[in-house]
Amino acid sequence: MRRRWFGAAGAVAAAGAVVAGVVGIGTASAQPQLPPVSPEDLVASVMTAQPGPFNGTVGIDNELGLPALPGAPQLGNGQQSARVWSGGDGKGRVALPSGDGEKTLVSDGTTRWVYDATDRTATRSTGGAPEQKDPQTDPAGASAQIIGDLRKTSQVAVDGTAEVAGRPAYTLVLTPQPSERTMLREVRVAVDAEKRIPLQLTVLATGSATPALQIGFDDVTFGPQDPSLFTFTPPPGTTVKDAPARGQGAPGAPDRQGPPQGSRTVGDGWDRVVVFQRPAQQPGRQAPQGAPDLNALGTPVTGPFGNGRAITTAVGTAIVTDDGRVAVGAVPEPVVAEALGTK
Amino acid sequence: MSVTEQTLETRTDPSSGTVLEPAARLRDLRKTYGSVTAVDGVDLDLPAGAVVGLLGPNGSGKTTLIRMLLGLTAPTAGRVELLGHDGTQLERALPDVGALVEGPGFHPFLSGRDNLLRAAACEPRLDGDLRAPVDAALGRVGLTEAARRRYRGYSLGMKQRLGLAAALLVPRRLVVLDEPTNGLDPAGTRDVRRVIAELHGAGTTVLLSSHLLAEVEAVCTHVAVLARGSLLVSGELATLLASDGELAVTVDDPARGLAALRAAGFAAYLRDDALAVTEVDPPEVVAALVHAGVGVWEVSRRRAHLEELFARLTEEDA
Amino acid sequence: MTAVLERTHAPLGRVVGAEVRWVLRRPRTLVVLGLLALIPVAVAIGIAVAGRGGRGLIAQVAGNGFVLPVVALGLALTLLLPLAVASAAADAVAGEAGSGTLRGLLVAPVGRARFVVMKAAGVITVAVLAVLIIAVVGMIAGTVVVGGPGSLITLSGTTLGVGEALGRIALVAVWTIGQLLAVGAVALAISTFTEHPLVVLACVLGGMIVFGVLGAIPSLDWLQPLLLTTGFGAGTDVLRDPLPLDGLESSSLRALVYVVLGVGVTFWRMARRDG
Repeated sequence: MRRRWFGAAGAVAAAGAVVAGVVGIGTASAQPQLPPVSPEDLVASVMTAQPGPFNGTVGIDNELGLPALPGAPQLGNGQQSARVWSGGDGKGRVALPSGDGEKTLVSDGTTRWVYDATDRTATRSTGGAPEQKDPQTDPAGASAQIIGDLRKTSQVAVDGTAEVAGRPAYTLVLTPQPSERTMLREVRVAVDAEKRIPLQLTVLATGSATPALQIGFDDVTFGPQDPSLFTFTPPPGTTVKDAPARGQGAPGAPDRQGPPQGSRTVGDGWDRVVVFQRPAQQPGRQAPQGAPDLNALGTPVTGPFGNGRAITTAVGTAIVTDDGRVAVGAVPEPVVAEALGTK
Repeated sequence: MSVTEQTLETRTDPSSGTVLEPAARLRDLRKTYGSVTAVDGVDLDLPAGAVVGLLGPNGSGKTTLIRMLLGLTAPTAGRVELLGHDGTQLERALPDVGALVEGPGFHPFLSGRDNLLRAAACEPRLDGDLRAPVDAALGRVGLTEAARRRYRGYSLGMKQRLGLAAALLVPRRLVVLDEPTNGLDPAGTRDVRRVIAELHGAGTTVLLSSHLLAEVEAVCTHVAVLARGSLLVSGELATLLASDGELAVTVDDPARGLAALRAAGFAAYLRDDALAVTEVDPPEVVAALVHAGVGVWEVSRRRAHLEELFARLTEEDA
Repeated sequence: MTAVLERTHAPLGRVVGAEVRWVLRRPRTLVVLGLLALIPVAVAIGIAVAGRGGRGLIAQVAGNGFVLPVVALGLALTLLLPLAVASAAADAVAGEAGSGTLRGLLVAPVGRARFVVMKAAGVITVAVLAVLIIAVVGMIAGTVVVGGPGSLITLSGTTLGVGEALGRIALVAVWTIGQLLAVGAVALAISTFTEHPLVVLACVLGGMIVFGVLGAIPSLDWLQPLLLTTGFGAGTDVLRDPLPLDGLESSSLRALVYVVLGVGVTFWRMARRDG
């Protein structure tokens, strides 16, 4: 009697081991042998890389510690994945699947569509920057942008090689120069050895071994893409809306990124702080359901700027003043407070 | 059927049908469940063609013994040889073995006939149309009328008959019947006895387990008595029943009969108005009485040993 | 006739055929299959009455009838389909043991390995029929009650023609069968350890709930690849365009591992089990 249950327990343990083996827990990545490259050459090649059309799957592992915001759920902590297709000429398609729906972003180079399956709405926007990518789902674009922003205030090094999405890559490491007052320890970018596009971006905060943010291709394939991927025709029964003018982006619209209007930056590189006026509640428009009440977050702070509340996460600090100013940066609280004080 | 010192290695080819080869041999068979010993070192041969009664009170290990014989339960120790196959090959003997063990097991939502058709589909010895052997088996146990009724509605006796029919789907070399008359009325009991007699007539070995001596006595050629997992006695029924027995003779004049027998040199005494004679040759006893002019009403053997043994067992059980 | 006399086992085809007939004549099987057919009908009627609105996958059915079989299969896979298959597996071994019919099969003899094959065939039959019934009734109800543009609107906002829509439905049906076979194999393995069918049902139901809870605990992320239920949502992927195969593949692979383990334990246990 007892023996058979031992047998069953053994079988269950074996099941676990086999499943783990098949599904691939703890996959070790090999370190490919690549010809050495200098950090300067690597950065230069990244900034000028033309990868051409590709498609792939992007995994986002977010430990930033931000509250989930409506309209941008992928900012919240957790793992997410997206499927991306790039036509290489401003055309692109991004699919953000969720359990019971999907959000699809399609750009044919001039018109951008955002289709949300959960409420079957399609939002159209035209004009603006032709190739404005969603940094959440574009490790290549986000990395290139960050490298561009940070290279002047960083020590740039090549830290060996790695294999990302099955492709050999150089690991470019940007470490803030000692004068930079940031909460970030380093940014690691895996650069495809052949195509020279960043395959993976890893942001590490001071005092933590696990990445605060990691965006990278789980798999990527370079080659021509089906042109029909980059056109969008709203299916029957869809509510079609036109996006409002840029800057007041509808939730989920690809122009969500970028500092809000009327903002200014203090400092540059790692310790840059963005200061802007908090948008006033628009008349007749309710705060989105579930939106965090910013007044309840954080801890009260007082300084030359007046009174406010500071919200500190693993990678940065935000201060919201009682008179509606907001300052955000990947820096400790005193730096943000100081930025609020400068005119 | 007293235990012989025959070794298992001396068996002959089972397909040659050697009559003397036992249908089954159990050697030092043992089964324990935890600290409980269900069967304790049983040695038993089932002679080919015999009807062997496995007698024992409830809980004496009869069913466990049968389950090990059929490969349904693995023995803790010991060997089972069935129709010339043993160990892992035991299953090769099963096509020629019919069994009704632990009561009939059928599906209530199917008719008796459909239940048998399902069983027939699994019988290696059947080929082609399965309906003919199924209907024949149903007829043999007297279930033709009820064949198409759902098993759910069967009486206990009908269920028992259906179980018997399943054991008889194919001509068998060994049929094992575990308490086959459970729940049967006298007519049903007679039918079972008739079927066993038919099997015996066809040369089939039968193992019949029962807790009733009378039932075993009525049909069996051999008997084995099991108590608390151990085999107490086994052998030919006639021998066991007669073994230290005596004759009971009912006569018209007991006093004269007693005198006549003593005069003829028999050890005789009067008991319960009958003459008790320790001589075991009935014709001589009867001849002596008749010669003396004593009218003989009845001569029977007293079955002291087995009957008393079994009575004691069942009393302990009760 | 000589061949028959020397045969030690009945022909496998005949045994499997008898098993499948037995499964299909069991009232419980028929009741369960009938109840499963009601799922797409209920969803269709709900959509027809409530109209559009609401969120979640069910809302996708509105005006988009071809989605109904996919959504109905996805709904049923969360609980009812696994229970239907587990019930078949429970009756297959534990039920036979409980009703005293197992020993008859073993003494016949069916052969212990063949017994597993025969029982697996019965469970597969139930799994396939259960999925087909939901898919077919779903398509009919989707077409008749919900209606739609005669095409399938994907979650990605593209429109698929009838042929491709039917292909997607067939794909999700086959995938669902694969997931159910994993449940069935495990249930069959549990079934060999007991003679009470309800124990099997309770284990499967409990297992589904425990897996669901474990899968929802963030700190147990590492456990997710091991849980069969983790992949249960992948069926929705057939509604995405272009069709992503990753989730379907990994969940099918995981199901395969469960099948291998379940069947392995079943064989191992049946070789030893008392009849």
